[in-house]
Amino acid sequence: MLELLGHGLAAVMSFKILFMIACGVAAGIAIGALPGLTATMGVALLLPLTFGMDAESGILLLLGIYAGAIYGGSISAILLKTPGTPAAAATALDGFEMSKRGEAGRALGISTVSSYIGGTLSVILLILISPQLAKIGLKFSAPEYFALAVFGLSIIASVSGKQVLKGIIAGVVGLLVSTVGIDIVTGYQRFTFGNINLFNGFSFIPVMIGLFALSQSFISLEDMMKKISIKQTVSRVLPTWADLKTILPTTIRSGLIGTFIGIIPGAGGDIGAFVAYNEAKRFSKHPEKFGTGIPEAIAAPESANNGVTGGAVVPLLTLGIPGDATTAIMLGALIMQGLQPGPLLFRDHGPLVYTIFVGFLVANLFMLILGFVGIKWFTKIIAIPSYILTPVIFVLCIVGAYAINNNFFDVIVMFVSGIIGYIMQKLEFPASPIVLALILGPMAERELRKSLMMSGGEASVLFMRPISAALLIIAIITFFMPIIKILIAQMRQRGRNISDSNNS
Amino acid sequence: MKKLTKKLGSIVLIATLGATMLTGCKKEEAKFPSSPIQMIVPFAAGGGTDIVTRAVADAAKNHFPQPLVIVNKTGAGGAVGMGEGANAKPDGYTVTTVCVELTTLPPQNLAPFTSDDFRPIMQINAEPAAITVAADAPWNTVEEFFTYAKDNEGKVQIGNSGVGAIWHLAAVAIEKAAGVKFNHIPYEGAAPAVAALLGGHIEAVTVSPAEVASQVAAGQLKILAVADNERSKSFPDVPTLKEAGFDVAIGTWRGLAVPKDTPDEVINVLKEGFGKAVKEESFTSFMASNGLSIAILDEEQYREKMNAENEFFKGLVADIK
Repeated sequence: MLELLGHGLAAVMSFKILFMIACGVAAGIAIGALPGLTATMGVALLLPLTFGMDAESGILLLLGIYAGAIYGGSISAILLKTPGTPAAAATALDGFEMSKRGEAGRALGISTVSSYIGGTLSVILLILISPQLAKIGLKFSAPEYFALAVFGLSIIASVSGKQVLKGIIAGVVGLLVSTVGIDIVTGYQRFTFGNINLFNGFSFIPVMIGLFALSQSFISLEDMMKKISIKQTVSRVLPTWADLKTILPTTIRSGLIGTFIGIIPGAGGDIGAFVAYNEAKRFSKHPEKFGTGIPEAIAAPESANNGVTGGAVVPLLTLGIPGDATTAIMLGALIMQGLQPGPLLFRDHGPLVYTIFVGFLVANLFMLILGFVGIKWFTKIIAIPSYILTPVIFVLCIVGAYAINNNFFDVIVMFVSGIIGYIMQKLEFPASPIVLALILGPMAERELRKSLMMSGGEASVLFMRPISAALLIIAIITFFMPIIKILIAQMRQRGRNISDSNNS
Repeated sequence: MKKLTKKLGSIVLIATLGATMLTGCKKEEAKFPSSPIQMIVPFAAGGGTDIVTRAVADAAKNHFPQPLVIVNKTGAGGAVGMGEGANAKPDGYTVTTVCVELTTLPPQNLAPFTSDDFRPIMQINAEPAAITVAADAPWNTVEEFFTYAKDNEGKVQIGNSGVGAIWHLAAVAIEKAAGVKFNHIPYEGAAPAVAALLGGHIEAVTVSPAEVASQVAAGQLKILAVADNERSKSFPDVPTLKEAGFDVAIGTWRGLAVPKDTPDEVINVLKEGFGKAVKEESFTSFMASNGLSIAILDEEQYREKMNAENEFFKGLVADIK
């Protein structure tokens, strides 16, 4: 293997390949940072360009875009509370809070380092143990997917901040919306009103763009009248030692979580980021500070979503089965290059595979460098007067919503979601639970019904399999913990009040 | 002097404008195609339909004076993209990659169009369904598999690429021909179904041979039979279901089509250009190296096939419900 790695290193160290990786990462960061343009779209957009290239350059260009875009999503999430990609939705929670305090530079520095650590960790795991990892991914059948989805949904309470009840209400609304579309088992149309655009349910990305980006532009339209501006202080771009020390355990844990979520076919960066956020909160000594803009809360989702990038490549290369939507397009890219991803790829094209591995590590390194170089410029985005910035975001919202399926219906969905998102912000309803419900609701329903179909209607299958049982137990704990904590706090408060009144 | 320059300037301007307009008009009458041709792919980039279309477009670029631009219009199992293609201006500038879904969606009331809304240019590719099981499964022939399925009625789990999708319909057609009953498990496309088969969660899948080729080559899966009229070129040792005595041939197909009112002279240009493209060495070798078959049908043959498929799927869909 060392020999192959050496070969890979030598192959990557050519000007052409390094240039391709750098181009990919730079384009990826830009695509990721623009709301509405996701990693999947970035890879799809540039896919035709790779047809004329040799396999190494083409695949590494796409992997560069993938890594860059997943990182780039955090930039707009932190600066504008507008996640550039679904994977950065969790980053917006604390990132924007920190940037509101005038510490956008610090937040971006943390997200850059965490993305690098998470991404690199996942690629190292990919190099060392991808065949073994792929086997774990295959262990997931319908009951495990169901348990994973339920676990993801249980996070709703913990990402809702102080508004737990409102968060749960938003989550339930999201679940209801996610029932629109053709029933996956019977083929029956639910709430589609015969509209062809609703057959597959609401597209999730336009809803997200509306809820986050468009509603945020409505808010900034209001602020424009009030003339509020935040002075950003970018004294340093590299995170302080103190910050690094605080986030290191979180980034490593989150990177591992991300890699693991990535190898499960069908679970992507969005789920990984939310799960990591939740786990960081669970392991934290001060979970109550999550949601107020603390370093760990930015580090966790950012490390995890870049961890997913390496993880998602594991089943792609070892099994020929993509780990998420972005790697599904890369499967097409590999095929167009005349390479059949799968178990034989390592045997027949060993040098190429290791060139891809080394190039992927280099892509993460470029992401770190470009990120740090760019932070000073990125933060200038907020300094752009909002009478210029807001219309630009408006246009990007429309373009992004249209481009995802090249369908105008999605633009309407985006506008309606934007108005709903604006009202929700006014009433202090958190938006993240809706996003989680839209991602995981269909998955939970589909996998539950599939489990029951496969077991012949026997519900015990969900609890008798070790992975799904464990995930379901964690889900129950995760869901009720914040609620129990509130109850305990209230009881203590009441106790104190009673003792206070007794003392007086 | 200044006035003269101004006057001269305006004359030049008018003349240029006039010339542009004239050439503009001329272009309208010029030979088709005088501007880029859009090709609608009703499925996502990187999928089988996308790959076939891109390979054709790449091979065709030397046979058209104008570029071919591929647009992925996804949604509703291909209905959004094909719907848009059917309703496009019938001027030949919008070519749609139509697939078997053109004939499977309408009988399920999942599409606001039928194959009659299109005028086919040609079929390019066809992939049969195949019965694929794990390499270490106890069945080595399709007969053994069906016998087992008969003894365990409704228990053999067959993964498909989604309810009502072609591989689901294929599994239904196969169970009808073999007189058995499967437990159909829907997945989000062919890849997750293959993953479930690799993980040992289901017994078989009915996706195309190309979609399991790399796992078969690696000795993880084996194909018991293909549901085609003749053996697959990539897997010549695998028998057809017809050879085994089960009369069923079903699969997906992909071809090019334009809106139904497209004039003859335009469609002839398209037929000629794409007809040359599919004979290009780059195209044939690409298809072969990826285990994709080339199955060319001309307009009349393709129309006939579509009509036959319409009838066939109407009957099959009635069986599901």
